[in-house]
Amino acid sequence: MAQIVLDQLNAKFTGGEILESGTTHGDEWARIRRDAWIAAATFLRDDPATKMEMFIDLTCVDRLGIRGGKPDAPRFDVVVHLYSVSHKHRVRLYCGANEDDAWVDTLCNVWAGANWYEREAYDLYGVRFKGHPDLRRILMYPEFVGHPLRKDYPKEKRQPLVRRQAGSRE
Amino acid sequence: MTTTTPPSTTTPEMVTITIDGKTHQFPKGTVLLEACNAVGAEVPFFCYHPGLSSPAVCRQCLVDVKGQPKPVPSCYTPVADKMEVMTRSPRAVDVRRQMLEFTLVNHPIDCPICDKAGECMLQKQYFDWDAKLARNDGIKVHKAKVVDIGPHIVLDQERCILCTRCIRVCDEVAKNHQLEMAQRGDHEVLTTAPGHQLDNPYSLNTVDVCPVGALTAKDFRFSMRVWELYTTPSICPGCATGCNVEVHHSRGKIHRLVPRENLAVNKQWMCDEGRFTYKRVHAQRLAAPFSAGAPVEWDRALDDAGKLLRAALDANPLEVGVVMNAQSTNEDLYALAKLTFDHLGLGKAYLAGLDQGWSDDILVSADKNPNTAGAMAIGAGRLRTLLDLANDLKSGAVTTLLVVGTHGVLATDAPSALPLDKLKRLVVIGTHRGHLTEVAQVAMPLSEWAESDGTFTNRLGMVQRVRAAVPAAGDALPGWEILSHLARKLGATMDFTEAKAVFAEAKSKLPFMKEADWGRVQLPVQLRFAGSRG
Amino acid sequence: MDDNHDSTLAPSTLPRKVVLGFQDVEDLTAPDLPTEPLPLNMGPSHPAMHGTVRMVLEVEGERISSADIQIGYLHRCFEKESESATWTQVFPYTDRLNYISPMLNNVGYAMAVEKLLGITKEIPERAQFIRVIVGEVSRITDHLTCLGASAMELGAFTVFLYALKAREWLFELLEEVCGARLTSTYLRVGGVAYDLPPEFDAKLRSIVERTQVVLSDISKLLDRNRIFRDRMDGIGIITREDAVAYGITGPVGRSTGLAYDVRKDHPYLVYDRFDFDVPVGSVGDNFDRYAVRVEEIHQSIRILDQALKQIPAGPFMHPDPRISLPPKNEVYNSIEAMIAHFKNIMDGIHVPSGEVYSFTEAGNGELGFYLVSDGTGRPWKCRVRPPCFSATEVLTKVLPGLFIADVVPTFGMINMIGGECDR
Repeated sequence: MAQIVLDQLNAKFTGGEILESGTTHGDEWARIRRDAWIAAATFLRDDPATKMEMFIDLTCVDRLGIRGGKPDAPRFDVVVHLYSVSHKHRVRLYCGANEDDAWVDTLCNVWAGANWYEREAYDLYGVRFKGHPDLRRILMYPEFVGHPLRKDYPKEKRQPLVRRQAGSRE
Repeated sequence: MTTTTPPSTTTPEMVTITIDGKTHQFPKGTVLLEACNAVGAEVPFFCYHPGLSSPAVCRQCLVDVKGQPKPVPSCYTPVADKMEVMTRSPRAVDVRRQMLEFTLVNHPIDCPICDKAGECMLQKQYFDWDAKLARNDGIKVHKAKVVDIGPHIVLDQERCILCTRCIRVCDEVAKNHQLEMAQRGDHEVLTTAPGHQLDNPYSLNTVDVCPVGALTAKDFRFSMRVWELYTTPSICPGCATGCNVEVHHSRGKIHRLVPRENLAVNKQWMCDEGRFTYKRVHAQRLAAPFSAGAPVEWDRALDDAGKLLRAALDANPLEVGVVMNAQSTNEDLYALAKLTFDHLGLGKAYLAGLDQGWSDDILVSADKNPNTAGAMAIGAGRLRTLLDLANDLKSGAVTTLLVVGTHGVLATDAPSALPLDKLKRLVVIGTHRGHLTEVAQVAMPLSEWAESDGTFTNRLGMVQRVRAAVPAAGDALPGWEILSHLARKLGATMDFTEAKAVFAEAKSKLPFMKEADWGRVQLPVQLRFAGSRG
Repeated sequence: MDDNHDSTLAPSTLPRKVVLGFQDVEDLTAPDLPTEPLPLNMGPSHPAMHGTVRMVLEVEGERISSADIQIGYLHRCFEKESESATWTQVFPYTDRLNYISPMLNNVGYAMAVEKLLGITKEIPERAQFIRVIVGEVSRITDHLTCLGASAMELGAFTVFLYALKAREWLFELLEEVCGARLTSTYLRVGGVAYDLPPEFDAKLRSIVERTQVVLSDISKLLDRNRIFRDRMDGIGIITREDAVAYGITGPVGRSTGLAYDVRKDHPYLVYDRFDFDVPVGSVGDNFDRYAVRVEEIHQSIRILDQALKQIPAGPFMHPDPRISLPPKNEVYNSIEAMIAHFKNIMDGIHVPSGEVYSFTEAGNGELGFYLVSDGTGRPWKCRVRPPCFSATEVLTKVLPGLFIADVVPTFGMINMIGGECDR
């Protein structure tokens, strides 16, 4: 139902910025190259045919371990969901970032709501957002070490500020 | 299911076949089942095994081939040029379901108490291909359960689905006919051959290949549910063959070892003796540094050891003996060689290890140490034997000993026991407690094979990667790390901070490690359902 | 009633002029008085910061000049835990997201997994009706709690007790349905866990009647109450543009004039068979949020009425043993059902690999579940898009300029549920 969004994106960005796009399970999605992230987002917000004024969600996916088919794929995917209140269609955007180069441009200047969501993605995954006015942890306490939702952060890992229970080895 | 093919020297002839509408090319002679699974058109099977002959008895792998009136067993059919295979045609899918229904007709409702649950091929294939509730509610045929058929294995005849994999393992791998089928039809059962037990040295492989829980290992029975196990790939330290294994562990404790496929070393098998080498990781460990008989902090132990060795070297360096161990990794040995030969300037060292044992021409090597080849190459002609050490100790030529690795030197009453009466100073860095660690002035705990990252060199000269599966017992540290600290106490600089760095340096200096590869970081993989082995 | 009582319902727009003895407020800014902004810490341990939230306010006199809202005190690692649980084991975790309306979270998650499995159209009809019914019951409990708690913080303790009395009837009814008041874990992938108990229809109708009486009592106490109106009218205004830019949906979003309700705009389950209205505010202040919530309870009651009339008989769970557990007598007596039960529980439902975003209308707005599957029985990622996260975020913009005392009703009317915001 949101094919128009993908069509408009592909029509406007013809320099290879749209790496991939498609529809799965009824959801339209597009993978944007990192240097075109803000441009694509702004276009989607303003273009009268797409008009994605509503910022729904921003999160990150850590694909460590499931890139078997594509070993060169980026480890982190910043995933943004957008909605248009006027046209009632949605789209999902992906932007990949490698492990040693984990940053993406901030969308705070496009949608004000991206602020806290980006802080959360930074807090839990360690992906930095360039240009973010206030990039600090939001859910974890400031002295927390590491980024917990990464796949190589084991669930049972102890933090330095957490006292050991008497009698336990770990 | 992937097979690691050894490098071939000639390009094979290729044939073109169509699987589910897509064309693919395969070398001539490829089994159709392997071909289908390789391209993602998964075909289930029970009796097929890449390391055994294909009797096509289970009929689970039937696929439709254009031009054939009946579905063909893909495990038995080689690919032929212009073959058109349909693995998802309605008839193929229905036939799969029917075969599972037949197999399940007399299968006992044992899942809650069956060890195989969680890695059972029958469970997995039912869920993927059948998923229909039972149509028949007749009384099941009852057979013998909990039959003790050998020193390591228990048989449950009701669970057996008559695939004959175990019989073929005994016949073709162990070359010892000990199992066979008896009776016919509904009443067919697996049993031992007349006058035999299942006691060949490869018997536990039958437990691995058994698709269901008919054959279970006494060692592993009821000890842990498989989905709680994590697997780490490593190398068996039982002998110089260096069979590739998977260490199955949970919460810091190893529960079993199973073979990993390596067509160049051990194919898909390992011997029973090797399987039990995990027990020594958890038994009788030296867990803390000791100095003068009392447990101390690491720093204090290293200090004391340093002082002892410094005094010995100052008195007479020729009387200082260093004992390496063929059970240590290449990295530990390299660090020790660097310290001994380069920094301390000693001209020789001794090589200890487990004594020679029995061997056969299947997998087992007489040399019961995994890294003799590595030790010899690193020693480069400067190594003497344990016998030489015993003589030198008896004559008083060596009055100070630094022993790194306690396998094979701990016992007091063995013929290889070392005479210690003329020994003035003894520093032991070892894994297990024994006489030697009791009498040593300083004893420091060393991490075992399953707790270390490193490499072993097998009898064929292959350098294989050993990975740490469980955290080190107590305060034990890897050998290269202990030796780095000790070197500092002795005034030498050897600052290794991770095993990978030791490996990199050793690789640059030692020709036999030229082709070696450290491999990528691997997260421990949780065993979730059947398909990881079998 | 004294002469100052204003009997109209219009929000008070006259500037407030406080008379302190002989001096007017304006005189207090005379240059000879030293002033500096005061950092004021509100929470996390504070009666009005429910859900546990810390607000570091910078105030000048009584006016807030900046607000740093620090959440995360109730973060319980929902996503990390979901990654090591099977698809069905995630249901208890979803209960504890918006713990005042647990069924709505269950519904959201179940629908997301079903969308990924591709069985959305195969859910039995009775199960769909049951989901709508328990979902609307949960919505009513959510709104009652919000109204009650906010009113209590403004001093109307009676309203709180009335609202909770009604909420308790509904929770007791849910307890009869699934065994627990709050932590229901009632839904399963493919349907619901158990059928509705007998006489559910009669009981729910009776509770609904009594709830309407409670609502009318609450309205009589609050709607024209001078204190309530003064503290709520014109306070905490969120503009429609902000609601859209921040992604604020639900009663808070609709109070700003944004007419978006997932049940109407993208109907799911059987919502398209019901006749109901969606209340939309105009000003976007606290009172609008209150009024929208009260009206939504009335609309939910309308939906319940129609659902109870239309619900068909039939199965309440998907028949495929790969998705639902087989009947227990079969499990104990046939190997097929035993294996199905075993694999279902130990492995989890084999959801094919893929990603999906599914959204439903929860108590606070669009509750989204973004699921990533790697083909096994456990999620690779199970992201919750919390509706009150955006609403709490906008407070950093709305609070500056308000009085300290205004924080209480504004924060209360946002209905930030800690479990949902922090997960």
